[in-house]
Amino acid sequence: MSSLGTSPPRKEDRRLVTGRGRFVGDLQLPRMRHVAFVRSPIAHARITTLDAGPARDAGYRVFTQADLGGIVLRAQSALPSYVETGQPALAEGKVRFQGEPVAAVVATDRYRAEDGAELVEVDYAPLPPTVCAWLPPESPVHDEAPDNVLLERTFDAGDVDATLASAFLTVRRELTTNRHAGNPMECRAGVALFDPADRRLTFWSGTQVPHLVRNMIAELLGLSEGNVRVVAPDVGGGFGVKAVLYPEDVALCAIALEMPGTPVKWVEDRVEHLAAATHARDHRYLLTAGFSEDGTLLALDADVTCNVGAYSVYPWTAGIEPLMAGGLLTGPYKLTHYRATVRGVATNTAPSGPYRGVARPASVFAMETMLDDAAARLGMTGVDIRRRNVIRPEDIPYKMPSRLVDDSGHYDECLTKALDAVGYDDLVEEQQRRRGTDEPQIGIGFACYNELTGLGRAASAGPRMPFRTGHDACTVRINPDGRVTVFSGVTSQGQGLETTVAQIVADALGVGYDDVDVRIGDTDASLWGFGAFSSRQAVIGGGAAHRSALAARTKVLRLAAGLLEADPSDLLIENGVIAVAGSPDVTIGLPEVARVAYLESNRLPEGIEPGLEATEFYDPIRGAFAAGAQVAAVEVDRTTGSISILRWACVEDAGRAMHPQIVDGQIAGSIAQGIGGALYEHLVYDDDGNLSTGTLLDYLMPTSAEIPEMTIGHVERPAANPLGVRGVGEGGTLGPNAVLAGAVSDALGVKIDELPLSPSVVWTAARRAAEDRGVVDEDGGPDRE
Amino acid sequence: MSVDITMIVDGERFDLAVEPRHTLADVLREQCGRTGTHVGCEHGVCGACTVLVDDEPVRSCLMFAVQARECTVSTVEGLEGEDGTLHPLQQAFADHHGLQCGFCTPGMLMTAVNLLDTVADPDRETIRAEMSGNICRCTGYTGIVDAVEDAARSR
Repeated sequence: MSSLGTSPPRKEDRRLVTGRGRFVGDLQLPRMRHVAFVRSPIAHARITTLDAGPARDAGYRVFTQADLGGIVLRAQSALPSYVETGQPALAEGKVRFQGEPVAAVVATDRYRAEDGAELVEVDYAPLPPTVCAWLPPESPVHDEAPDNVLLERTFDAGDVDATLASAFLTVRRELTTNRHAGNPMECRAGVALFDPADRRLTFWSGTQVPHLVRNMIAELLGLSEGNVRVVAPDVGGGFGVKAVLYPEDVALCAIALEMPGTPVKWVEDRVEHLAAATHARDHRYLLTAGFSEDGTLLALDADVTCNVGAYSVYPWTAGIEPLMAGGLLTGPYKLTHYRATVRGVATNTAPSGPYRGVARPASVFAMETMLDDAAARLGMTGVDIRRRNVIRPEDIPYKMPSRLVDDSGHYDECLTKALDAVGYDDLVEEQQRRRGTDEPQIGIGFACYNELTGLGRAASAGPRMPFRTGHDACTVRINPDGRVTVFSGVTSQGQGLETTVAQIVADALGVGYDDVDVRIGDTDASLWGFGAFSSRQAVIGGGAAHRSALAARTKVLRLAAGLLEADPSDLLIENGVIAVAGSPDVTIGLPEVARVAYLESNRLPEGIEPGLEATEFYDPIRGAFAAGAQVAAVEVDRTTGSISILRWACVEDAGRAMHPQIVDGQIAGSIAQGIGGALYEHLVYDDDGNLSTGTLLDYLMPTSAEIPEMTIGHVERPAANPLGVRGVGEGGTLGPNAVLAGAVSDALGVKIDELPLSPSVVWTAARRAAEDRGVVDEDGGPDRE
Repeated sequence: MSVDITMIVDGERFDLAVEPRHTLADVLREQCGRTGTHVGCEHGVCGACTVLVDDEPVRSCLMFAVQARECTVSTVEGLEGEDGTLHPLQQAFADHHGLQCGFCTPGMLMTAVNLLDTVADPDRETIRAEMSGNICRCTGYTGIVDAVEDAARSR
């Protein structure tokens, strides 16, 4: 009886629905002290005075960068153009963005810590700030990079210039995307406790990457790595924002070293989070594409600038967004002639980091916009031009012009199913009927995309950093009572990994789902895992769980064979009972086998060691692409610029869906985040580098009133890994920008060059279109045709 | 300076000394051990900290603890039956994948409790409108709406 492919109750849910979740903020320990950070109110300035005296005189512990030994985080990359810069744990000499931590104050509770923070006196001499990444800086963010460019790389394949020169149609566009952020419901949080007797540091952290954090903290603080324990208990959403080691994390641990035996706790508030946790997607695309008369994409020339903020995010570097944009800009479309120069440019804004979909919600918007533009000029439909150009199953494996290898290819099938799900033909009919009437106009938008998941060592995430993220480990332990505990290197911020890993182990080992418990997020418990990013855990952590369960199964069968005096190859194990094939009466239960393994060595067969446990790594070497397509229909109100979503469908190739309910939940949630980014979410800095969307009253995340009902479909094409799975964590975010921009463009006959599609952007576009047709009303609004 | 207050939280009496500036959310979490109530934005926007004060839904991050003096407070931790039976809404959220990370869930559940107490037969549109004061970043809301609808229908 297989658990995989069914949706058993999640192991996480009971504690979470009863209020017994174990989030970092919930932790209370004896002698605990609370930390508040003094943060820069200015985007770019020299620190002329930093006086902790008054706060210290009032009885607060205050730490500055000098007090913490001047720890600096330096994200490293071997890319030739990369300019390495440092990020201090606490600012020293200069601040580079509004919200940057300058000092830390410790008190008996958070209220008092904030009282103390107000007593720390900091004077700033402002420097000219840079906010926009495509304007030249007056005063560089880092002295090492006078032009603010932290890295630049050109992808080059084929002969772009000659192909563009001879193309039937060339399309040129300048597109910008809106800075927004993952913004998990739980902000960042940490508790650090240093035990001086054996120099052991425990760091409870809402991180997606506990083993990486352990490695980096040990190195930065000069501790033995085995004496650093990082625990990520329940984590309230991550989306990439928590896959970063932040200066606040390092400062908190360094403070713990200065206050031995005292747990120090920092729970970020939302204002801090919006100001100082990583942002993303602040990009500009300058694109020229060449097409043949039949809509075939012939060449693409791209210049991509990504605003990477004030620091090269640790450890992923400033390359994370630009290199992803350049590597995957062409998405699921066949192309030979491709040139893309991508750059990461520092500015006096919060650092950019990984956010679900990394760069591709922007790059897919850019690519799909080019196709829609060409289709309109060639008199084709958006569907036809995509079908003309997508990679097809017979092209697999397809080497993209960036040399990534696509192993999916079911884009047309995804698109066709999505069209059926929204009732495309009926929508087109209704759209045509409304043309020229007073009724709100209907627009239909499309996106095809490929989600690159489960990257092994040959395609590892990130820009040539000093580590390769292709593998994870898992330990499967059969306890003396025959129940199973799994110590997995995966982490969960809502993805239900305890559940999925239990399913994998139950099936591979031959026991029931309810007999498997999974421990994750504790570096003292599991051997190794890189954590949650790049939609890697189902493929890699899942693969490790599968392999370790098979290895444990082999040990069980060897021991059972000795006890039953049978050949191991004749044994089967199902639901915790080992039986001899062909002799159904000869059985032994796993509890008895396990008891012998631990407690009755007198019964151990010759040559078999005590214990029943196996640890295995898994690395898929390459990655698995997940094909996807989304289609939506919207109604646009030309008077207000508001958009109503009428229908939404998404069809993805997730490979084999291990827990279909979780898979659909990942897709639905990622589409909702994508819709938020396309319509509402915008982190806006003014010209002085002040964040003007600093609370959730200004930074608008979508609610149940905005997110539509959606249809989610699948084409399940197993990938070439032991479980046949493809990652599904990010794909959903890749579509909505393109779908909604395309739909608005379709409804109004306008070009959409910027996001988000706020009512003012839509209204302005509608007005411009109306002006072009000479039908502007006297009150300035676009008249109805 | 602190003020003595008494509150009944999930049926348990608490005699507390609180500062006037302490929010109800912080006092529930720090002094009453009710860490099931989560704080997501501290501006009354996200709804994660929703509890019922004398049966009315309240953003406990926007209410001072002293304002809850002599009040009855219900949190997510009082929903489960004494025999461990889940409240129908808790069961429905689990059944319909109405939660992923679970951080917004306590506030969602308390808002939904109030919704079911006050609206006889909510349709999906009503549920979407009534639940729109609580932000979830994980689910895309479909599972939450399904869960509330199911719990409303099966009572």
